[in-house]
Amino acid sequence: MEKEKLEALLIEYIDGTLTESERLAVEHELKVNEHANKMFRQLQEVMDVMQTSSRIEPSVKLKLGFEEFLKQEMFSTKKSKTVLFQPGFYRVAAAIALLIIGGGVGFWISREQRQADEFEAVKKEMELTKKMMMAMLDNQQSASQRVLGATVAYNDIEKADDEIVQALIEAMNDDENTNVRIAALEALGKFHNQPHVRKALIASLRTQKDPLVQIALIRLMVEMKEKNITKELERISNDEEALPAVKEEAQAGIFKLS
Amino acid sequence: MTDEMIMEAVKRGELQQASVLFERYNKRIFNFLARMTMDRDLAEDLTQNVFLRIIKYRSSYKEGARFQSWIYQVARNIFSDHYQAHKNRIADFVDVEKVSDYMPDPEESEMLDEREKLLHKSLARLGEEQRELLILTRFQQMKYEEVALIMDTTVANIKVKVHRAIVKLREHYFELEKI
Repeated sequence: MEKEKLEALLIEYIDGTLTESERLAVEHELKVNEHANKMFRQLQEVMDVMQTSSRIEPSVKLKLGFEEFLKQEMFSTKKSKTVLFQPGFYRVAAAIALLIIGGGVGFWISREQRQADEFEAVKKEMELTKKMMMAMLDNQQSASQRVLGATVAYNDIEKADDEIVQALIEAMNDDENTNVRIAALEALGKFHNQPHVRKALIASLRTQKDPLVQIALIRLMVEMKEKNITKELERISNDEEALPAVKEEAQAGIFKLS
Repeated sequence: MTDEMIMEAVKRGELQQASVLFERYNKRIFNFLARMTMDRDLAEDLTQNVFLRIIKYRSSYKEGARFQSWIYQVARNIFSDHYQAHKNRIADFVDVEKVSDYMPDPEESEMLDEREKLLHKSLARLGEEQRELLILTRFQQMKYEEVALIMDTTVANIKVKVHRAIVKLREHYFELEKI
């Protein structure tokens, strides 16, 4: 029998996988062939040692290492899951929420922009009114224009800046026309809550010579309940040069403020 | 529950189930790698890597595929990756005379059958493929059909190769016995 064929048959004979006829043929060969017999014994020993070879046990380190890794992997999967693998529903919800927030922010920005535009327009209009008013007050040719300027300040200007106050004070103290001076005084009266306006009104009372303006000033100050003018009112009431009407107004003021 | 059902659960994200597969396979894979590398410590590291790879690449497990074949394929890949990375082949550094000292625990060493020591030495003299075939079919008692699946070849081919490997092992075994 061919060597390789014999070896294969012997191995299968040991394994017990031969057919009946093959098995009988092998057993016959083993009886008559010494070399085959030796080969058989050697193969049987080697295969038997392999079969019964002791198992090698891994150390506990292997299991501990695996458990540690599994724990980490479970933790990292859980973590990434919350960020990346949320069910579609949450992703859709998040998209809608983003849309709403985006829309809201957009609306807010456009509203802010609109308000800013409106504010800009009002500011421009005020600038224009102020320019017009200042130009009118400065019109040396026409007293009526100057009165109109003071009236514009009274009707159309909500809050007077330093430039307006200064122009009105100058008109109240120095304009040659009584009507202009009174109109400026009325306009300033509207801004009497602004501290520098109040101060300017008190100072004007000391220097004012126009009886009509003096009377209007006293009435305004009394209305403002400005007690700091009491001394000034006493001086006026004792001033021999002052008109009786002015003196009476001053005395009435002292009485009202006391 | 079959290995395949458990692996499919792992693939779906039930990672805890991987410990069942570890319990079922860690000793077999470790034994396979220990006999392939003839180095227990290295075999433990490589076995660890097999399970790490199975968990990390769980999505690559094809549903319906035989789990045993898959895990052995992973183990074989890890073994060959290791030696390619180290540009070494086992025969280049394993001292055949000392092979039996690498393998068992020092405490077990004394108890080892003389025949078994001879077997380890003979096995180390075989080429990688023949050693692998004998480990799978003889030490681990795997059927030729299962080995054919792992190695992606025919049963007939495996059978012929295993016969040759046994014959070769016999030669080395009785040569070494004479020494």
